[in-house]
Amino acid sequence: MKNTRKAISLWNRGHWKDYVFSQGMLLVASLLLVFFISIGLGVGNILERFLSSDLPEEQVRITPQGVQAGFFQTERGGTEITADVMDSLTALPQVERIDPQVYAHVPAYLRGLLGGRNYYTDITLEGVSTAFVPDSMLEYIDWNYTLSDSAEKPLPIILSENLLILYNAGFAESNGLMGLTPEGVIGLEVQVNVGSSSIASLQAPPINLRAEIVGTSRSMALFALAVPIEFVEEVNNLYLPDDKHTYSALMVTALEAEDVPAIVRYAESMGLAAETRRGIAQKAEVLVGVVTAALGALAAAILFSAVASAIHTLVADLKNRSYALGVLVALGTKRERLVYIFAFQIFFMSLISTVFGGLLGCALSFLVSSTLLNLLPVLKYAVESLAVFPVGWLASGLGLVLAVSTISAWFFFRKILSTPVTELLRR
Amino acid sequence: MFLSASANTGRGESPVSKPLIHASSIVKVFDELKVLNKASFTLNEGEFVAVTGKSGVGKSTLLGILGTLDPAFTGELTINGVSTPKASSMELAELRREFMGFIFQDFHLLPNLSALDNILLPAVFSGTDSLEVRKDAAAILSRLDLRNDNTPTRFLSRGERQRVASARALVNNPKVLLADEPTASLDEDSEENLFDLLDALRKERGFAIIAVLHSKRILSRADRILELKGGVLHEKHA
Repeated sequence: MKNTRKAISLWNRGHWKDYVFSQGMLLVASLLLVFFISIGLGVGNILERFLSSDLPEEQVRITPQGVQAGFFQTERGGTEITADVMDSLTALPQVERIDPQVYAHVPAYLRGLLGGRNYYTDITLEGVSTAFVPDSMLEYIDWNYTLSDSAEKPLPIILSENLLILYNAGFAESNGLMGLTPEGVIGLEVQVNVGSSSIASLQAPPINLRAEIVGTSRSMALFALAVPIEFVEEVNNLYLPDDKHTYSALMVTALEAEDVPAIVRYAESMGLAAETRRGIAQKAEVLVGVVTAALGALAAAILFSAVASAIHTLVADLKNRSYALGVLVALGTKRERLVYIFAFQIFFMSLISTVFGGLLGCALSFLVSSTLLNLLPVLKYAVESLAVFPVGWLASGLGLVLAVSTISAWFFFRKILSTPVTELLRR
Repeated sequence: MFLSASANTGRGESPVSKPLIHASSIVKVFDELKVLNKASFTLNEGEFVAVTGKSGVGKSTLLGILGTLDPAFTGELTINGVSTPKASSMELAELRREFMGFIFQDFHLLPNLSALDNILLPAVFSGTDSLEVRKDAAAILSRLDLRNDNTPTRFLSRGERQRVASARALVNNPKVLLADEPTASLDEDSEENLFDLLDALRKERGFAIIAVLHSKRILSRADRILELKGGVLHEKHA
C-alpha cells in the first residue's frame, strides 16, 4: 500500500491540475445530480400537495361553466344551477343524493386579532351541507347555524386550505401578519360582518357575528369560507330577496363509483362543468409529469455534459501520458500492476469527488429550499422542506456517475496498455 | 562475417562466461522491408558488445527486440534461459525489471520527477522500493556526480539527464545493460567519464553491456564490435 501511494504520488506529480479539473467536473456532476433529484422530487411533492383533492371517488362536483371563484367574489357565466337543474339531476337513476353549495351573494368581511395585530379582509361565504363536512369533524362540531343562534354560539367556518395558501402567499406577507398552518388556524375566533365589505354595502344594516374556524378542507370544491348552508340561504333571502335562487355547486353522490361517468356526461350535456377525483388526479398527474420531465431533462443534459467533460479530461490526460506509461512498462512494470494502481487511483479519486459532490449537492438543495421557503411563505406553510433526500435514489445516481467515469477511464487505460511499448515510447 | 554464435574475442573475456542472451535467425519486417534478416547473436556474462552501423539500419530495432520491448519478430530469442516468444507479458516484464537495465537514446525520463524519483520509478511501481534500494540509488547518484535533490529532471542538462538514465539502468543491479547510443550528444570528456564509470561498475558487478555506439574511442573499449548491415550482424575486429 505504501508503494502504491508513492507510485500514485509520482505519477501525478506535475499533473494535479488536470486531475483537479476532471475531478472538479465529476464533483459538479454529482452535485447537480443530487440537487436535481432532491429539488425535483420536492417540487413534485409540492405540486401534488397543491393539486391533491379529498373528493370521494363516487362524488361529482358540478359547477356552472366559466364560474371562477375568487378571494372575494365570483364571476358568473354559462348555465346557472337552478332548482330545476338540481331536480333533473336528482331524477337520474345513478344519483344517490345531491348536496348543494350556495354562495352568499351578500358582501361580507372578516376581522380579528392575529399575533397581536388587527386584520381585516373581505370574504366570500359559501354555504355547504353536512355532506361536505368529514364525519371525523362532525363528531366535535355543530354544523347547524342560523341567525337566531348568533347570540349563543359562534358561526362555524371551514377554511379552504387553498385559501390559506393564498393568505400565506400574499395577504399575510403584504400586511405583515403571521403565516398560518392548517393546524394552527383551527380554533381561531373572528368577527364576521355580513351586509357590507370594503367595496360594497347594502341598504339593510349589516350584522356582526362571532365566528370560529372549526376546521380546514383540502377539497377542490371549496374556494371560499364554508359555513352552514341554512345560514347562507337565510342571509341571501334577507338581503337580496328578489335574487334568483341559484347554487354555486352541487356535490352529487353516485350510487356506485362506476356511475360517475354517466352523471358527468349528463351534466356536461346541460352545459355544466363536472369534476371528479379521477379528473383532478389526471390533471395533477399531467402537471407533475410535465414539471418532473422538464427538470429531469435539464438535469440529464447538465449531468451528461459534466460527466462527459470529466471523462474527456481523464481520458485526454491518460492519452497525453501514454509515453510515461510506455516508460514504466519498458522499465519492467507489469501491466497488471499498472492497471491495479490506476484503477485504484481513478476509483478512489472519483469516489471522493462523487461523495463530496453529493454532500455539496445536499447542502445546496437544503440552502435553496430554505431560501425559497423564506422568500415564498406559500411554500413554507405547504411543505416542511422543498428538498427531498431519497437515500436509495441518490446512492444509485451517484453510483452510476462513479461507475460511468471510472469504467470509461479504466477501459481507455487498458486500451493504452495493450499498445506495443515501442509505440508508446514514440512521443 | 555472419555470426551464428558468439566468440569471446575481446579484452573482457571471462573463463566462466555463459550466454545471457541468445538470438537466432531474428527477422523483423517493417512495411515489407526486412530490417533484420536472420540476425543471430549471443551475449555472454560480463561481455561488452558494441553494435555499429549506419543510421536507419535497425540498430535500435535490434536493441528493442533484445530488450523484449518489441515482440513482433520471428526467430528465437532466449534471455536468461527464458524463450521470450513463448513468455507471458508478466514474465517479460520481470525479465526487464530483474535482469536488464536500459539506457535509452532519448533517456525516457519522466520530466516532472527528480533524479532520485526517476531512478526509483521501476522499484516503486513494482512494489519493491525499500531502504536498501534507496541507499543503492543514492550511492549511484553520488558516483555519477549527480545532486540528490528535488529538482525535476526537465531542468537538468542533457549530460546530467544522460547520467540519471544510466543510474536508473544500474540501480536494480542488472545482468545486462542495454544502451542505445548512450553518449550521443555528449562531449568527449563526458563520454569518457561515463564509460570509465560503466567499466568500473562492470568490473564490480559483472554485468554485460550491449550498446549501440558510434564513437571510435568508446568502441575501442568493447570486447566485440558487431556491425549491422543488410539486416545481418557482422563481427568487426575491436
